[in-house]
Amino acid sequence: MTAGVTAPKVPSAAKLRKRSWYQQPRWHRLFALVVTALVLAQVTGAQGTRGDLFAALEENFSGGAVWGWLGLAVAIWLVREFAHELLGRYTSRVKEEAGRPAERPGDLTPSGGFSPAAAPVWLPALLARTVRFVTDVVRGQRLYRWGSMAALLGLLIVLPLMVSTFWQQVMVDQIGMFVLVAIGLNVVVGWAGMLDLGFIAFFAIGAYSSAFWTGGLPVEPPVELNNFLVIPIAVLTCLVAGVLLGAPTLRLRGDYLAIVTLGFHEIVYLTAKNWTEFTGGSRGAPQLDRFSVDLGFWSYEWELDPRPYYWLQLAFVVVVLLLFVRLEHSRVGRAWTAIREDEVAAAATGVDTVRFKLLAFAIGASTSGIAGVIYASKLGFINPEMFVLLLSVLALSYVVFGGMGSIPGVLIGTAVLVWLPEYLRDTVDPQDRYMYLGGLLVVMMIYRPQGLLPSRRRQRELRMAEEGSGSADALGARPGGAQA
Amino acid sequence: MSLSDIWDVLVLGVVLGSLYAVIAIGYTLVYGVLQLLNFAHSEVFMAGGFGGVIALTIFEPATDPSGLQSALYVLLGILGGALLGGLVAFGLEKGAYRPLRRRHASRLIFLITAIGASFFLYNLAGKMFGRYPMPMPTMYENKQVFEVFGTSVNVTQLLIVVAAVLMLLTVDFVVNRTKMGSGIRAVAQDPEVASLMGVDIDKVVSRTFVLGGVMGGVAGFLFGTNLQVEYTMGFLPGITAFAAAVLGGIGNVRGAMLGGLTLGVVEAFTVEWFGDAWRYAGAFAVLVLVLMFRPTGILGERVGRTA
Amino acid sequence: MLNKSIVRLAIPVAAGALVLTACGGDDDGGDGGGGGTTYKIAFQGPLSGTNVALGENMENGIQLAINEANGSGDYDFTVEYVAADDQGVETQATAAAQSAIDDQDVMAVVGPAFSGPANVSAPLYAQAMLPAVSSSATDPTLTEDGKFATFLRAVPNDNAQGLAMADFLAAQDGIESVMIVDDVTPYGEGLAEVAESEMTAAGLSVERQSVPADTVDYSGAARTVTEAGVDALIYAGYYEALGPFAIRLQEAGYEGIRISGDGSNDDEFINLAGDAAEGWHLTCPCTDATENEGTAAFAETYEAEFGLAPGTYSAESYDVTNMIIEAMAELGGDVSREALYQQLAGTEYEGLTKTFAFDENGEFTNTAIFMYQVEDGVRGYLGGVDELVGG
Repeated sequence: MTAGVTAPKVPSAAKLRKRSWYQQPRWHRLFALVVTALVLAQVTGAQGTRGDLFAALEENFSGGAVWGWLGLAVAIWLVREFAHELLGRYTSRVKEEAGRPAERPGDLTPSGGFSPAAAPVWLPALLARTVRFVTDVVRGQRLYRWGSMAALLGLLIVLPLMVSTFWQQVMVDQIGMFVLVAIGLNVVVGWAGMLDLGFIAFFAIGAYSSAFWTGGLPVEPPVELNNFLVIPIAVLTCLVAGVLLGAPTLRLRGDYLAIVTLGFHEIVYLTAKNWTEFTGGSRGAPQLDRFSVDLGFWSYEWELDPRPYYWLQLAFVVVVLLLFVRLEHSRVGRAWTAIREDEVAAAATGVDTVRFKLLAFAIGASTSGIAGVIYASKLGFINPEMFVLLLSVLALSYVVFGGMGSIPGVLIGTAVLVWLPEYLRDTVDPQDRYMYLGGLLVVMMIYRPQGLLPSRRRQRELRMAEEGSGSADALGARPGGAQA
Repeated sequence: MSLSDIWDVLVLGVVLGSLYAVIAIGYTLVYGVLQLLNFAHSEVFMAGGFGGVIALTIFEPATDPSGLQSALYVLLGILGGALLGGLVAFGLEKGAYRPLRRRHASRLIFLITAIGASFFLYNLAGKMFGRYPMPMPTMYENKQVFEVFGTSVNVTQLLIVVAAVLMLLTVDFVVNRTKMGSGIRAVAQDPEVASLMGVDIDKVVSRTFVLGGVMGGVAGFLFGTNLQVEYTMGFLPGITAFAAAVLGGIGNVRGAMLGGLTLGVVEAFTVEWFGDAWRYAGAFAVLVLVLMFRPTGILGERVGRTA
Repeated sequence: MLNKSIVRLAIPVAAGALVLTACGGDDDGGDGGGGGTTYKIAFQGPLSGTNVALGENMENGIQLAINEANGSGDYDFTVEYVAADDQGVETQATAAAQSAIDDQDVMAVVGPAFSGPANVSAPLYAQAMLPAVSSSATDPTLTEDGKFATFLRAVPNDNAQGLAMADFLAAQDGIESVMIVDDVTPYGEGLAEVAESEMTAAGLSVERQSVPADTVDYSGAARTVTEAGVDALIYAGYYEALGPFAIRLQEAGYEGIRISGDGSNDDEFINLAGDAAEGWHLTCPCTDATENEGTAAFAETYEAEFGLAPGTYSAESYDVTNMIIEAMAELGGDVSREALYQQLAGTEYEGLTKTFAFDENGEFTNTAIFMYQVEDGVRGYLGGVDELVGG
């Protein structure tokens, strides 16, 4: 029965409040921790075997690991329940210490001096304050800012020289590609606030137009072009595709838009897969041209070595970023912000919402198109399975994970999330990599929903949403029903 | 195509469509109370499939079951699916969504959490039970039951349609006629006012998840009977059912039923005319067309308003 | 506040989980053996993802060969196994290939297992001069004009299989029309295309259907087949999809000759399809490891080692690995990637399953295809297609 939609005969308010011992939050917490421990025992346990459904379960529960987890859970529970006050006092002291202002280097000295006995308190606080001090200084000074940008760029340029070829491949084939895609998606989702679950479709369109115009598909193009010349064409194609998708769907609100973009992706994917005469079908298009420059006196061809591709990609990313940073603070960027925060109000104050939403779609799509061209020519082979729906969903999580609307956030978020499965390749059973990725996403969203490096404006919107005034995006009202 | 052909295809469409309808209800109920696209519902569905396999593996079906035994096995499978589906949905709400609700997170955060939970769950299932397809243990001989206009209907098809119709009727009754249903509708209409009126929102949300989860779980079992069970089995039916919920008007229970049936039939005819390869293209084309003219789906949205 | 604090507590638990798994990762080092230098043999194939069963079959075969070589004491070097998981998908193929290439001790690769990833990986192997010997990538175009310098195919390609299917059907009485159903994967489409042209050449009337491997309902496809009333059906795809399809076909009452290729030639097919698997013909470039005299001993050791019977391509991978080890031994102490490739390209190795030799493009010279048929719940070995047709 539903608790008290209409609560007839209430004996007494006091009786309502009374709970049996097992209903106390303390036991709820223990129960939750035990369940978590059992799940973690499965997460870290044995792999299932063919033909025996319960093999993994039996092994996980017969080994010592499950007891280890249960012990850990109970230990945490005990600490939480019985050393709670102690811990609380400690954290509040650290917080207090960390909260002291740090405007000059001299301010960094702890309030009680560097006494070794109090080290547990001032050490973490000092760390936090130093970080804050340095970031304040760096943020405050123009020179520092440009200097650190240049240093970062320099580091990124030499980075591939310092890692193994395997990581170079990962950096180009996966991190670099998805960074470009995420930058584009950030325009649509982060800035204009439209939920797009089919973004990889544009990536696919870019890759296939590249294959088409370099003569890699079964059909002959009117003229065969160099990969560099294909880029503007691919951008144009994606632009048109973006508008084509955008135009009929502009009336739709958040969730409806999501399913329609998802459907758009599925249709692009199915076309690539089934229109064998044009796209080569599921076997794809092999032996695509690679990037090359021929200026008569000097020529260069990008080959299998991933590094030249990396630098090419980096150049594209930097150019796109420079354009987008300008865009973000221009009239267009402000219009997007207005639409994102309140579409009706934006329209009422004279923002041409249709035009700006279409613009966001088109710009985002074309960035993705560039990525598609580079991808096709780097791998030298494309087929529809490279553009499955799952990637669109993943791309969206990259953007949100990093911090929607914030360019550095999106860059870092994508890099981290693409890097993680590759890193886990050697540390855990490679089959489980995406399980950890999923778990990380959930934990991250619970503890840091604003993302790794959120933009300030976005953070404010989220805070306002938490406090209940306004919603964090133009996707409609926030999920309701939460009364703490 | 002849009339009997049309009947053939229609039967296939209705069978598939009633499964979609049952899954779509899970999406729509949760959307109604939380305005949340519960992407992880496809994993609830997958869990239901495994629940059925597990239940039937424990109580190994006899090789040549009598009619009564068959019915028992089917019931067992349904129970297993419902149990595991409900459990996963319950855990999902408690573990992932409730902490988010407490901090009034935005919908996109919910969506990404759902995506993360979906990745986590299906890979965990793959790890625990193996990453290969497995058949549902045979519960009955799948022979023809009766014929409609020359189209034969077999046991599995009948089972799916009957179970789906029963579940749809139950859900409709629960949402529209019971106290729990009025709680759900109240929360869907206005959570703040509902809580001021004394509705325990946490409980309502939790029960909504369980209700949707049980539906999804049973659908998973039925789907597994019709095809096979695999850790990735949730993704495509999940997406289609999500589309079905949107088509009917997300948040609207009867809309989800209508949307599911429509998409099932559309898919069956797409397969008949254009081949299996274009199955989803037909479904999504219909979806886009409908949404262009009715931006909130066939029956409009929200649990609260239609009931 | 209740749940928030629970989740707050869950964090250290989760962190602990990560640390624990990180520690518990590596424990399978090289296990003694011949001593001296260590060479590694990598396997690129689906060790995760949907096609993991096939990958495991091959991995076990390779591992068995390596263990035996190390244990025999015949060689003055140790061989070590390296896994390069590509999930059977193209997007993971460069990273997987590169991880094998980066390891300078890797002298040869068994794989790529699938044709799609082979298209992406083979150029990388060629550049690194690392020999890649695939025992299962059957797309004919892979060896066209020798476009991948170090790619060797140790298995008859789809052309051979398509031709064998056509020959087999043409030799049967009363077969006039055939329907070919592919699963819209590179493997299925490739095989279907070859089969289609060979059947047309053999004078049969051919219809073609595409049913994607992730189809949620095979009733429609089964209906199409029965409505068409064809005498024979060829399914070009993997057993995961053939299982449910076969069941629907049985329910729809299809009774013509049913043939599928090596992708379905797995005991798992019978497990998935149950009774409906009865009567299916399965072609494969692979011999039955349990059937032939020479391979029976292999099957025994395999089963003792891994607890299950060798599957599709287990014996072939075992052979290929032995061939590589043999080639290493013939090179004496001077094993380099390039030298090994030269050695392999010119080799003629008598394996358990067949004789391995390659033409100048790296194509396999032996094109024998074998036929199986499911009977009473087991895959019965019928023999080479040549003999069946001839006799």
